Amino acid sequence: MRLRLTIGLWVVCAAQSLSISEPFAFVHRNSPTPQKYLLETMGGGVALLDYNNDGRLDVFFVNGGKPAADFGRRDPAFWNRLFRQNADGSFADVTAAAGLDKSPNAYGMGVATGDFDNDGWIDLYVTGFGANALYRNNGKGGFEEITTAATAVGGWSASAGFFDYDNDGRLDLFVTRYLDWNLDKNILCGTPFNAYCKPDRFPATTNVLLHNQGSGRFRDVSVASGIAKVRGKGLGVAFQDYAADGFTDVFVANDGMEQHLFRNRGDGTFAEAALDAGVAFADDGKPFAGMGVAFDDYDNDGKPDIAVTNLALEKYALFRNEGGGAFRYASATSGLAGVSARSSGWGVKFADFDNDGWKDLFVAQSHVLDNVEKIHSGLRYLEPMALYRNRSGKFEREDLGVPVAARGAAFGDLNNDGAMDVVVSVLGGNPVVLMGKAPSKNSWLIVRGAAQGSRIEAGGVTGYASTAGSYLSASDSRVHLGLGVRDTVDVTVTAPGGRKQVLRSVKTNRILELR
Amino acid sequence: MNLLLLVLLAAQVTPELKQAVEAGLKAKQSGDLKTAAVEFRKVVQLAPTLAAAHVNLGSVYFEMQDYATALPSLQKALELNPTLAGAELMLGTAQLSLGYAADAIPHFEKTQTIDLLGIALAEAGRDREAVDRLEAALSDRPNDPDLLYYLGHAHMRLAKQSLDQVAGDSARGSQLRAEANVAAGRRVEAVKDYAAALAKRVSLRGVHLALGGLALESGDVETAAKEFAEEFRLAPGSAIAALRYGSMLLTKGESAAGLKTLRRADELRPEMPETLLELGKAEAAAGDPARAEKAWLKVVELEPESGLAETAHFQLAQFYRRLKRSADAERERNLFQELKARRGK
Repeated sequence: MRLRLTIGLWVVCAAQSLSISEPFAFVHRNSPTPQKYLLETMGGGVALLDYNNDGRLDVFFVNGGKPAADFGRRDPAFWNRLFRQNADGSFADVTAAAGLDKSPNAYGMGVATGDFDNDGWIDLYVTGFGANALYRNNGKGGFEEITTAATAVGGWSASAGFFDYDNDGRLDLFVTRYLDWNLDKNILCGTPFNAYCKPDRFPATTNVLLHNQGSGRFRDVSVASGIAKVRGKGLGVAFQDYAADGFTDVFVANDGMEQHLFRNRGDGTFAEAALDAGVAFADDGKPFAGMGVAFDDYDNDGKPDIAVTNLALEKYALFRNEGGGAFRYASATSGLAGVSARSSGWGVKFADFDNDGWKDLFVAQSHVLDNVEKIHSGLRYLEPMALYRNRSGKFEREDLGVPVAARGAAFGDLNNDGAMDVVVSVLGGNPVVLMGKAPSKNSWLIVRGAAQGSRIEAGGVTGYASTAGSYLSASDSRVHLGLGVRDTVDVTVTAPGGRKQVLRSVKTNRILELR
Repeated sequence: MNLLLLVLLAAQVTPELKQAVEAGLKAKQSGDLKTAAVEFRKVVQLAPTLAAAHVNLGSVYFEMQDYATALPSLQKALELNPTLAGAELMLGTAQLSLGYAADAIPHFEKTQTIDLLGIALAEAGRDREAVDRLEAALSDRPNDPDLLYYLGHAHMRLAKQSLDQVAGDSARGSQLRAEANVAAGRRVEAVKDYAAALAKRVSLRGVHLALGGLALESGDVETAAKEFAEEFRLAPGSAIAALRYGSMLLTKGESAAGLKTLRRADELRPEMPETLLELGKAEAAAGDPARAEKAWLKVVELEPESGLAETAHFQLAQFYRRLKRSADAERERNLFQELKARRGK
């Protein structure tokens, strides 16, 4: 099946900076029921990855399932799907050919990407309720499932991500888990009509850290590392070395409770430090419904900041990194609070959509309750996606497209034109593709081949190599930098552990291959 | 001693009747109301003209809260003996519980049960009389939630009646209807009524404040800020309008303007904890740590156990952490967590 981006349903607004289409013959099936199982409204992971190393990003969607014993995943309608991008920009469904037609016995949630065996081919990890699955890329256009008891995890997994926490050169795996819940523990909430329960009706659970032992083997070190010391309701995860000590830290977005920031002690253990670091709560000391997370430098001070999407009326949380391991709540001072208060957000990333040198904030939006209008006439279930434009550190809102139930969002340059693109999964619907249209006067650089966790600085702009972040999703492993008007820049790449590589007078508007 | 037993002691009764009475009383005393009802029904069949027998049967069903079954027994008892005050009160209460408020009124009047009379009058729509009785009852039980509820409703209806009669089409009439819609959760209708109120009188105070509040409940900060600004323009002496507007300016990232407005709110009504909390944030954002600290410490002093104090402790902990005052930061962090735990219980 070949699908051209250009023949999809285009919903383009001339005033908008991204053109929108629905080119994929994929429907995310969440199978809503009258029982209102919470997982029905939580799914929808998506990944952008170049699985065949042809230089073009391919797209992987995680499907839902039926909330029943076998989740109905043998039915092709419930398969996860891999779409290969062809040279002409069209996409072909290669799910079966790639060996991804045997979905695990789980209700699908999210996806992580990373080359865990360092063979040069990007691998896949798919999460869900019931069991997770690890797929090794065989380098021949296919994947081989190599799930073990450790990587299957169990329970209700949500976002996951690959990162190298001990700087041993091998990607480890962090898996968030949402709630201690199963179909039998389901309860009905809401009167006089049923609604999805708030997470406070179910117990919290632990996240999972899997250490990469090499040869495709992972060992569960959740307890030994201290990760399992605290229980949460994890939905989003992102990694950065926020304390600039050479070791990558972990931020977990928790739903309806304090957020967690696991500070990497550098000895294989972590300490939960969110409250001390100032990122546990909003500025009123109240918890919020953390869902997606972006961990990047929005104010060009060279330090990674944190944005967490949450529910309408809570205001998206922005924590500005002030150095010394401390953050400051900046939603109000940046203007983000004022323009996000009416929205609920999921997939999210700081990315420079107009290449002006300031990273904007893209958010896939929709309320969690499909009948929220009955409960609060001032709120809406379906919402347009939003681009919160960064004007030198202050955010302005631009709505994109028609209202949808957006969930996961993966980011990357699909057509290698230097403008960031986004693929957004839609709960129970067709995914949406947003193609960037950056002003041609502005310059850009895409850096390929940096180790995960690397920090890349060019022309006063800092980016980080990480496929993790957002919500249930994995983004392009390459690092995109918008640079404003520049012909050349000096590029400094700092790998985890501190090894530096400096490249002088690099020409802009190109994909830079690191060696 | 039970009335029925007294009657029986004074009269010649059959052993069967005596046995049923004693069994019924024994069962009632032990809480076995079902058995008591069976025995008292036997008593009623054996002595149908005995008022006390009907009272006892009715009282058992009354205790079981089966008011519909209690009613005929109590009515029969009063028919046989109109001086039975206990039966009168139970009958009125049963009728009121079943929604027959108008029928219950004479029984409460006879027994001079002023609180239930006030409630029955309110439910029957006789609001002016209800207000008198309820206020009298409240003098004995000033915090009774039922009495307060009915008094509030009676006042509300009276106010609405007055406005409907005198000024139904007036700006105030629309404002009152809007407020009733807000209370009933009809937000769209409320906004329309508020707009109608403003169309009739542009300078009506309170309407923009309410519209701002409604916008804020939907997360529409931009509209809320405009409405609060308009309220503050109309009522420059309103500390609440200044607080709301200043708070919105902060939320929008307009820190300098927010600080100025919040300082004004503090001047208009000093020591208002909500203002002080926001003012602390604004002072901190403006780079005046001493003023920020002073504002938050005042919140804690004024309302040490409130949610505002919880937030103030949190703000202070963050604030001291930034100033590298570790001991102060730790103390405030602990106070925040302790208060949070106490309030969460």
